Amino acid sequence: MDVFIELKNVTKKFKNISVLEGVSLSIPSREITAIVGKNGSGKSTLLKMIGGLTKPDSGQIIFQNGEPVRIGYVPEVTPVVIPFTPREYLTYMGKIRGLPIEWLQKRINSLLEIFHMEENQNTRIEHFSKGMKQKVIIMQAMLEETDLLIMDEPLSGLDLNAQTEFERLLISLKERDISVILTCHETRLLEKVVDRILVIHQCQITYTRNQHIQDEPMNRIVFELSNTVSLNLLREKVTIEKEKETSSGHRLIELSVSKEQTNKIVREFLDRGATIQLLAPLEGENDFYDSFKKGVEIQ
Amino acid sequence: MKGLLHYQFANYIRTHKYVPPVSVFIMILIINYTFIPNPILDSYSFTSLVLFFIMGWVTITILHAEDQGLQQLTILHAKNKSGYYLALVINCAFVGLILSIVAVVYPIVFHVFKPGLLTIHIVIGFLAHFSLVILSIALSLFFTRELVKSNVNSWWGVISILVVSLALAVAKADILKVKILTWILPPLRYSLEIMSVGDKFTSVPVLVYAQFAWIFIYSLILITIFIVVVSKSRKL
Ligand SMILES: Nc1ncnc2c1ncn2[C@@H]1O[C@H](COP(=O)(O)OP(=O)(O)O)[C@@H](O)[C@H]1O
Ligand SMILES: [Mg+2]
Repeated sequence: MDVFIELKNVTKKFKNISVLEGVSLSIPSREITAIVGKNGSGKSTLLKMIGGLTKPDSGQIIFQNGEPVRIGYVPEVTPVVIPFTPREYLTYMGKIRGLPIEWLQKRINSLLEIFHMEENQNTRIEHFSKGMKQKVIIMQAMLEETDLLIMDEPLSGLDLNAQTEFERLLISLKERDISVILTCHETRLLEKVVDRILVIHQCQITYTRNQHIQDEPMNRIVFELSNTVSLNLLREKVTIEKEKETSSGHRLIELSVSKEQTNKIVREFLDRGATIQLLAPLEGENDFYDSFKKGVEIQ
Repeated sequence: MKGLLHYQFANYIRTHKYVPPVSVFIMILIINYTFIPNPILDSYSFTSLVLFFIMGWVTITILHAEDQGLQQLTILHAKNKSGYYLALVINCAFVGLILSIVAVVYPIVFHVFKPGLLTIHIVIGFLAHFSLVILSIALSLFFTRELVKSNVNSWWGVISILVVSLALAVAKADILKVKILTWILPPLRYSLEIMSVGDKFTSVPVLVYAQFAWIFIYSLILITIFIVVVSKSRKL
């Protein structure tokens, strides 16, 4: 799993309001990540920082180990009046971006295909349903080739059908190797398609987990490790979900690994002088204890 | 910039917000010229003042034409907030230019003027219209939704500033004797003074052109201030 986006110790304040304080996390590529949190918890701010629209006060956001990433950003907007057809609107936006016309037309054709909008390409957007308008808004963010699509509250105002359709769209984007980060104020929505949920709470990303209805069971592990030890080699094998400085030059590292890999990863960390702080199954902790009890009964 | 200009203009046309101000203006033109013959500069002076008010209306409708959500996206694509607003101002000026030409050409085409029309009348007539167009745009910009939250205040603001400018120009009030104020207040009165000389002249002094030039410079300064202020505001 290669790290796609890495936040290192990111802090952001508005005047007196702290939004994020020393947040570190990494997001792997080709995944759908949902950022969840209460209103005003800083979801939009985090998205804008990842999208490069605002800068963190301190800390770093690193993409793909420094290589450029092409980002499409869909702000939280609900346009009512768009007096154009999708083709007209996308052509105007492409020209405003300064894209070459021929390339632009080809791109619009393929976007219309991806979004299943070919039949509606010459209908005025005003007559569209909320879900279809949403698609146009996403398409305009993808006019240039896109590696990462950032969407702020894409589900707001969509009815159930449109939500299901949106889920399908997310899957097809993922199949095209596009990573997606979106915000959402309810955890339950999109549960089927989202790979990873980040929860913002009190200026921290408090809980991150691979949300997959996993084929394989996962373990959560927390190590304590000296700051002098480099993790670069390990980062290629696992995704570190959370890092936190502790006193005396140590840091806490949290990660999830499949059960199968757990022994191997633990060994690698122990070889580097880490100490285990926690090791527990990620989901179904009760099942784990239940099976334990059964074992006792059999004896 | 070309892309922005096209898009904003097409959007303005498609939203039909141009219909009320433009049709009101055309109606006033027709009514004004129902009786013939008409004095030349007096008529132009009147229609340029009408256009001064109509352009306040046009400016607000052009700056409010795009859906506010869409506007965010367009600015993201343009990657340049000041360019976005400059394009809007240019579109206002373009509509104003067309209306100025209509106002100047209409009475000539329909032969409603007294005899004795000279090229110089047409030049002065056009300058009178177009200078007030630009001045009106410059003043009205400050009452658009970028700076004024409520729509009602936009309309009242524009009407007030335009009326006050006119009142100050006509009143020749004592405060105008304060030198500095003549530089700060909207230079509407220059146009009115120029236009009140009657039709019997064959050439105009350089000063007249200088006064028109001042109206344009004054307006451009205001427009620049507007664009700088809105591009600095961190609304996204
Ligand atoms: N441009 C800004 N200026 C000042 N405060 C802001 C700005 N943007 C966001 N905030 C504040 O930062 C906090 C987080 O906002 P936001 O990221 O929009 O939250 P969310 O998207 O989770 O609802 C809020 O308290 C908000 O008031
Ligand atoms: Mg938000």
